[in-house]
Amino acid sequence: MPKETLYLKLERNVELMQEEIRMKDLGRFACRDEKILNRVKVLLVARFDPKKDGGRKVISVMYLIKKLTKEFPDLEVQSIGETEVVAERVCTPKRKNGWVFLKICVVSGICFFGAAFTIMAFHNDISIIRVFDRIYTLVTGQKSDSVTVLEISYSIGLALGIIVFFNHIGGRRITRDPTPIEVEMRVYEDQVNSALTETADREGKTLDAD
Amino acid sequence: MGGQIFLGVLGGSAGILVSAGVFTVLLSVGLVPRFAGKTHTARHIFLYEEMIVLGTLSGDGLSILGTKAQLGDWICGQLLFGPDTVQLWRAVSSVLLGLFGVFAGVFVGCLALAIAEMLDSIPILTRRIGFRHGLGVMVLSVALGKLAGSLIYFGLRFYETGI
Repeated sequence: MPKETLYLKLERNVELMQEEIRMKDLGRFACRDEKILNRVKVLLVARFDPKKDGGRKVISVMYLIKKLTKEFPDLEVQSIGETEVVAERVCTPKRKNGWVFLKICVVSGICFFGAAFTIMAFHNDISIIRVFDRIYTLVTGQKSDSVTVLEISYSIGLALGIIVFFNHIGGRRITRDPTPIEVEMRVYEDQVNSALTETADREGKTLDAD
Repeated sequence: MGGQIFLGVLGGSAGILVSAGVFTVLLSVGLVPRFAGKTHTARHIFLYEEMIVLGTLSGDGLSILGTKAQLGDWICGQLLFGPDTVQLWRAVSSVLLGLFGVFAGVFVGCLALAIAEMLDSIPILTRRIGFRHGLGVMVLSVALGKLAGSLIYFGLRFYETGI
């Protein structure tokens, strides 16, 4: 009988509700033999221990392979995904809605007032009113009365630039591309993930084969 | 007329380029993803972006229109909320200013450290002086130093003379 091959593709990061970590939580599996596949999927990998790991475990693919070959000596395992997976336990909070709403409000407030402050500080920095006054006098030969076509068109241009840059207005996308902050968010998540795996590795906390 | 059209084109182009520049700086330090990541509200990034857009536009309005955008003067002048408008508006505006101060302060504080981090100053320093522990103390000292600097700046009225 030829050896069965199990293909496994680990995720980079998974969030679990329950205490046990089973194989099927960590990635995707494919195998010709349905029976083996089902047994593999429910295989217990580890348990979260709040005191020791703080609800986060970094698991190496080597550990999984060791575990699988111990359970199924005839199985050949092919890993085609990540080499480490970060499993995090998320407890479903009871006061969810109010708390999340509060956090959203605070972050929105920081973004709103922070952006307002930044642009005002920038305008103050470059003395924009004096620059506009000078340009107005230069072009028209008259004195500027603080709000001229220059100020208004500048504001319109600023709004246009932002909308094109961020690619959405009033909750609606202009094109299907992800917005710059969505892209930055993915980059940030990737960096956090690799920092987590590398720290766990350095501290020897990764679940790994010897 | 020609002059006005010219000014309009000039102002519009200036606005578009300035927004690109300002937002590139804001984005490349990655503040918003960090806020969203810390609070686990990445699903609402859209909202945060809109807030940045709205905030920039209102800040732009306030600083560009200058004396023409003095909301408080106008409200008190019109007695918009009855005869007690002046007292009422004073209370409302101090709450608004308090909110503005706290949120803008948080934003600038994060921005300052995020820029420092972009230049890898903290990792480089820890490597050079070769310490493994005490990073928390260092970050705390940076925060306290910023606080002290800010208090001295406003307390001793450095803004009047420049340092």
